[in-house]
Amino acid sequence: MASLDSLMQLGGAIAAFSFTDAGELTEHRLGEGPLNEDVLDLLCHVCVANTAIATMQARGWEKLTGMQGFYPIEGFTMVGFDWSAVTSNGQGVVLKNEGADYEAAYQVLNS
Amino acid sequence: MIKRLLVLDGVMAVAKFRDDGEFVEGYGMMPDEELHRLAHFALDYKRMVQGNADQLAMFGQINGWTPPGGWIVRGPAMSVCSVSNLVAVVNNGEGSLTEVMRELKEVASY
Amino acid sequence: MSLVSDLASTPGVLAAGEYSYRGDRFHYEGKMDNEQARLASIMCRATTMGVHMQTDMLSQFADECGCTPARGWFVKGKGYSVCVVAHYFCFIDNTGASINEVMGKMRRSVGDATPDKV
Repeated sequence: MASLDSLMQLGGAIAAFSFTDAGELTEHRLGEGPLNEDVLDLLCHVCVANTAIATMQARGWEKLTGMQGFYPIEGFTMVGFDWSAVTSNGQGVVLKNEGADYEAAYQVLNS
Repeated sequence: MIKRLLVLDGVMAVAKFRDDGEFVEGYGMMPDEELHRLAHFALDYKRMVQGNADQLAMFGQINGWTPPGGWIVRGPAMSVCSVSNLVAVVNNGEGSLTEVMRELKEVASY
Repeated sequence: MSLVSDLASTPGVLAAGEYSYRGDRFHYEGKMDNEQARLASIMCRATTMGVHMQTDMLSQFADECGCTPARGWFVKGKGYSVCVVAHYFCFIDNTGASINEVMGKMRRSVGDATPDKV
């Protein structure tokens, strides 16, 4: 598991968080910006919901096309207007879109 | 016409929306702004359920899921349910979702 | 060069495509057949609709939350990832492609597309 402090070290990070399989926020760090605990909790639910849908899609796709490599889903990222929320393994980080380094975020999330 | 749904036990609010997102009408124990939000949410949710049902049919290769007839989201005390372009908020302890869904279906067919 | 062609010729990209907002037409290039492109279009459109709904709801709880309108999303699988911005999709091989490069190209090209038809 990555530490939330190491996620906050990523360039443009404005929040880092961890959540349960059901999407409930368990721990968080906040940087500058209007985000707060309540919004992060909602965000966790959004990411869990989309990971579940993506898992359904990966299962269906692999079965129907025979093309493997999508399942299991290792992460879901939502690219918002200004910020991106990158999540994996029950943790996530919110990055400013400008200059967001998604690869680096996944490296830390999977460390 | 949708006002008659308020007569059903447990129904707290009802709203009607158009597929282009336009709010048509809404009634019940909720301020106007919240009725608009309820209708907006119901349209979004309808489209999402439609999309997911399409995929289930596509991947499962079984007919019978699409087009979806409606949806119910059940909370501990309140539920939200929808058929076609109608949505209702129901108090679980006071009403029957079966009855509300049946009435929603009937009113939606007018 | 169109965005689809540009993406399809990017190292590590399996296939790229675009679909109509109504979901009934699509165009693609790369290692994918017509049926797979059709499935991909349906899947990407469904998730995009969901993401737009979710960000709309998030914005109701936090003014200027910086998430609306949503520009796109990507999902990382074991060996492959799927990136979507506006109504464009791109399937990439995790070992051969850079998500940053692909998302950067997509965002610069269509990241400001209006979401009113989603």
